[in-house]
Amino acid sequence: MDHWRSNGPAGPVDQWHSHRTMSAFLKQIKATGFDAIDTFDFRIWQMYGDYGGPAKYQEMVRDHGLERIVNTFHAADYDVRNYAPHLPETHENILEDFRVTMGRWSEIELDNIIVMPATLYYDMEPITEDKIKYTAECWNKVGEITAGFGVRLTCHHEFFCGIQSEPDLETFYSHTDDRYVSLFVDTAQHCIASVDPVAFYRRHAHRVSGFHFKDTRDVATGDDHRHRPDSEIMAPTTGKWFHEMGTPHGLVDFEAMMTAVRDNGYRGWISVEHDKANKEGGDYSESTAISRWYAKNVLEEIYR
Amino acid sequence: MKDTLRWAYALNQWNVRLDVFVRHEDQQRALKTVSACGFDTIELASGTGRWDNISRPEVILLNHGSHSGFLDFLRRARVQGVSSMFWDPQAPAEEEEGYAFRSTANPDDHDAIVEWAKPFVDFLAGVGAEQLVVRPVGSAWMSPPLGADGIKVIGDVWNRIGELTSAAGLGLALHYDCLGAVHTTEELTGLLEATDPATVGLALDTAEFTIGGIDPVAYYREHADRVTHVHLKDTRYADTGEEYRMPGAESTMLKGGAGRRIERWFYELGTEDGLVDVPGFVAALRERDFPGWVVIESDHGGNPAELAMLNSWYLQHELGVAK
Repeated sequence: MDHWRSNGPAGPVDQWHSHRTMSAFLKQIKATGFDAIDTFDFRIWQMYGDYGGPAKYQEMVRDHGLERIVNTFHAADYDVRNYAPHLPETHENILEDFRVTMGRWSEIELDNIIVMPATLYYDMEPITEDKIKYTAECWNKVGEITAGFGVRLTCHHEFFCGIQSEPDLETFYSHTDDRYVSLFVDTAQHCIASVDPVAFYRRHAHRVSGFHFKDTRDVATGDDHRHRPDSEIMAPTTGKWFHEMGTPHGLVDFEAMMTAVRDNGYRGWISVEHDKANKEGGDYSESTAISRWYAKNVLEEIYR
Repeated sequence: MKDTLRWAYALNQWNVRLDVFVRHEDQQRALKTVSACGFDTIELASGTGRWDNISRPEVILLNHGSHSGFLDFLRRARVQGVSSMFWDPQAPAEEEEGYAFRSTANPDDHDAIVEWAKPFVDFLAGVGAEQLVVRPVGSAWMSPPLGADGIKVIGDVWNRIGELTSAAGLGLALHYDCLGAVHTTEELTGLLEATDPATVGLALDTAEFTIGGIDPVAYYREHADRVTHVHLKDTRYADTGEEYRMPGAESTMLKGGAGRRIERWFYELGTEDGLVDVPGFVAALRERDFPGWVVIESDHGGNPAELAMLNSWYLQHELGVAK
């Protein structure tokens, strides 16, 4: 996944800082044994500005030995005034956004466009069945648009978004069309929201189109999920929510998760994410290597 | 790495200060990083005191109980063993007569230095390593030029230690570095000639050679029969003004920029403007079916994990080494 920081003469920078830092990033990802990358959707502007577009950027990815870009994460800046899936009056804006967005990405092959399907929790509460139903209707329509471009629309439920509790997740998926709306399981996010990601995956495996494998040591408590602008950063109880797979005291049962993936015969990509790995002394390079070590020596022993 | 050459990775860059690389979980993270990069064998570097629990033989054994206990510790991270260990008898160590300053250039110090070598020899034999890699002599700025007699004196002590390592089934490899009192091609060759080829070899460090003004590819081709160990890394700079003779060269040249604002001398493989012909050097190793260990180092570079990953990428994608 796209998250990355390194230190250089210009101080801490991400991989998009220069062609040199991008090259170093891609080399490190490939060296440890990963085969492809995911990006954020908003990176498309840097792809155009710095590389000549997604296809040209993907050529660089391939020059470093990686296969391609698999998924893009459409990190929308939700706004109840004009862009909020639980508000039907904003749906046309959302649909138009995806018509344009998918056109921009159409020069490369993507598996998924990933979305957080609800606004931030504090912008959607109280969470009602009607709001969830409006949200599902929105994504059914968006999924039809993305399917027209050969890309699956898939939903990634952050612990601080409006649809994150187990009952609300079930309601949401009962109202979405599995031809157009898939599920993207983020192991840590579900754990933080007190949802067992393994059981959740087993219930919905037929519509799962990808994973973010990362761990957490903490479950959200109180109003952790209700902090502006973003509870991943601002929740008062926890300075660092995410850890790499295999971390001591991790809450995700990755062996059970991989067993479930095997049992369901999943053949798609599994993405490893190091979200904010540099917090509290962490390091993206090392986290990448440690995660890959875990995948090779633990997970691939279960299912490869 | 799956290759006819045998590749290992040096842990020295992780242990940059007394107490930063002591917790076993931190060491496990480094070992897993190296393993994820495709290396299943490591080189250790000597240290001193109770914090150096992955550097000082006695302290390693105190931490892990036995040689096999230490190997079990490595194997938890899927690192299978130790290729070698670097030791500088000129570097003061608490365990060596309480930070005694001794020099291989002083015959009166030889008996003590031979004694100091024994824990390393025993430890390396116990963990199944192959090479004791040593700094043969102190820095040039600290003493007058050696001359042929001085080089012979240095050779004498390494011949004695070579007998010890040989008896233990180990090799002894003299590691040339760019600050050492054995500096020129002639001096280095003189040192090799002063040592027994049956028991004493050369550790050829490509960056150190290049900084010191010796072409590593040409030297290897001429002396392949004496090269028993390799450190592979790159540099962007050479010592262009006898900077190795600057007083306090460790600080003034290597760390202080040599008056040229050089912030860093050692670089990962594939660095822009690297002076080492890495493909040429590795090709020369292959031509001679080099049987020793080729150790990659992130020596005095940047983030050790990042450099290990960049080095691994270079091996895989520029040199065609399968992981």
